[in-house]
Amino acid sequence: MSGAVGREAVFPTRQSLGLMKSKLKGAETGHSLLKRKSEALTKRFREITRRIDEAKQKMGRVMQIAAFSLAEVSYAVGGDIGYQIQESAKQARFRVRAKHENVSGVFLPQFESYTEEGVNDFGLTGLGKGGQQIQRCRETYARAVETLVELASLQTAFLILDEVIKVVNRRVNAIEHVIIPRTENTIKYINSELDELDREEFYRLKKVSGKKQRDTAAADAEILAARQAQAEKDAASGTTTDTTADEQTEAPDILGEQEDNDVIF
Amino acid sequence: MEGLFFNVNSGYVEGIVRGYRNSLLNGQNYSNLTQCETIDDVKLQLGPSYGDFLASLPPNPSTSALAGRMLDKLVSEFRYLVHQSTGSTAKFLEYLTYGYMIDNVALMITGTLHERNTSELLERCHPLGWFVTLPSLCGAETIEDLYNIVLIETPLAPYFKSSLKHTDLDELNIEIVRNTLYKNYLEDFYNFINTNPDFSGPTQEAMSEILQFEADRRSINITLNSFGTELSKQDRRKLYPEFGKLYPEGSFMLSRAEDVDAVALAVSAVSEYKAFFDAVGLSQGSGGFGGMGGDGKSLEDLFYQKEMEMSKMVFTRQFTPAVVYAWIKLKEQEIRNVTWIAECIAQNQKERIGNFISVL
Repeated sequence: MSGAVGREAVFPTRQSLGLMKSKLKGAETGHSLLKRKSEALTKRFREITRRIDEAKQKMGRVMQIAAFSLAEVSYAVGGDIGYQIQESAKQARFRVRAKHENVSGVFLPQFESYTEEGVNDFGLTGLGKGGQQIQRCRETYARAVETLVELASLQTAFLILDEVIKVVNRRVNAIEHVIIPRTENTIKYINSELDELDREEFYRLKKVSGKKQRDTAAADAEILAARQAQAEKDAASGTTTDTTADEQTEAPDILGEQEDNDVIF
Repeated sequence: MEGLFFNVNSGYVEGIVRGYRNSLLNGQNYSNLTQCETIDDVKLQLGPSYGDFLASLPPNPSTSALAGRMLDKLVSEFRYLVHQSTGSTAKFLEYLTYGYMIDNVALMITGTLHERNTSELLERCHPLGWFVTLPSLCGAETIEDLYNIVLIETPLAPYFKSSLKHTDLDELNIEIVRNTLYKNYLEDFYNFINTNPDFSGPTQEAMSEILQFEADRRSINITLNSFGTELSKQDRRKLYPEFGKLYPEGSFMLSRAEDVDAVALAVSAVSEYKAFFDAVGLSQGSGGFGGMGGDGKSLEDLFYQKEMEMSKMVFTRQFTPAVVYAWIKLKEQEIRNVTWIAECIAQNQKERIGNFISVL
């Protein structure tokens, strides 16, 4: 009767039946809750996947434009300015801030970019020539980095959600396919054991009553035989009043016993 | 009269340069280059002009490697000219290299300021701006040492001495140092051209025009680029070379300018620059961050264009070392053009490939 799922090791008592029933109810509630959570997360997950797709395509375009604007700079300045830029940059102009967002109890980190307008470390680079191209290139790259930050935030959310959805789905499946059937099996087992006990008891009582009836019948027959023998003796030898008086005084006692037996049935 | 004895000392150099000029890429070459599909094709097209120098490049080289090799050719040709020249022509060629030296020295100062290992920087220096004492700049530990001991030995010492103290190197932005030096250099060069008796005549005329243009261009660029930075007006004024068509009224107005309109007004006295500003439109400043103008020409493109035209005109004159200057400028523009074309091909941005400035 246990099947592949098995049942819990409990004594088949009415108390544990009650326990199991409340457990089954809890499991069903939990299952529906988790199922809803998983659906909410999956919805979010799909949305994030779509946005990642968009962001990646945007990144491709933006990076291309940015790389090209760097080519424009090297055309205008006519040389390598990389070293100069690296050395004159002291403070970050483009900064990233991390936030938390709560989606159905899951904390998703979100990165938010902002520019520190006051910081303009290499504003004078290319003063003689190419300054405008350099500034423009910086703007383009700032936009490119912005896209990257957005993408990073989405990707992190993607990974975390993926993990969480897996865990939730595993739980849903475990409840649906293991815990609920097992509890049900246990309840079935307890019920069947209780029924079995009932039947046993019934049979036992029946057996006892049967035995009693047989004993009574035997006793009746004996009395009847004794009476017949007495009657025959009486018929044969006339009257012996003493004995009949004795018999008559005994008879009601036996009937009393018989009545007691009837009460038991 | 001035041409009578020129060829005695400098005729050979001039002849060589005219020969070099003929090897510059022409319109036909450029249209072939723009048709290329890969960098290898570009390399192939450059074969006739650059042959040996490109031979050692690996297949599908990076654009910077390509530009590096083209520069190597320019440098080796220029070195040959330097070795062949004597007297005032040699001095003239030396002056040409000072501009690159300023860039190199600025690079070294940046490295020293940030306490980097400056010997690595030597590789990044422009080969035309190489001078014997350049490596010794690496030896300086502090800015004070650099100023007192090392910079004094360089050919740029006079430019430092007249306007910068060693404390300035600490505090001033390196760009301001660079532009101050460049201003002093341009003034000195202009002075040299106009006072040396050997250069009276065609050299003086040609070079004065070019240097004046260069000075004005720098003034305008510095003004435009300094908007929105911490450069004060007094400091800005110190960076304007004190000659040129804009000097003195135009420079004064430039130093007061606060927006592009004011710059346009300042240069309106000179018809050429006014034409540039009109061509680009006054939206140049606001459109500065929004991409190039409608026809793809920015103010700097127009300046480059003008420079190329002036350089071309120099070749119509004879008996002058100014052709060397013109040739270097043309060659540099050519390198930029090829780099641009290669960049466009490498990044698959063919629609902008025509944005170079044809040299010939």
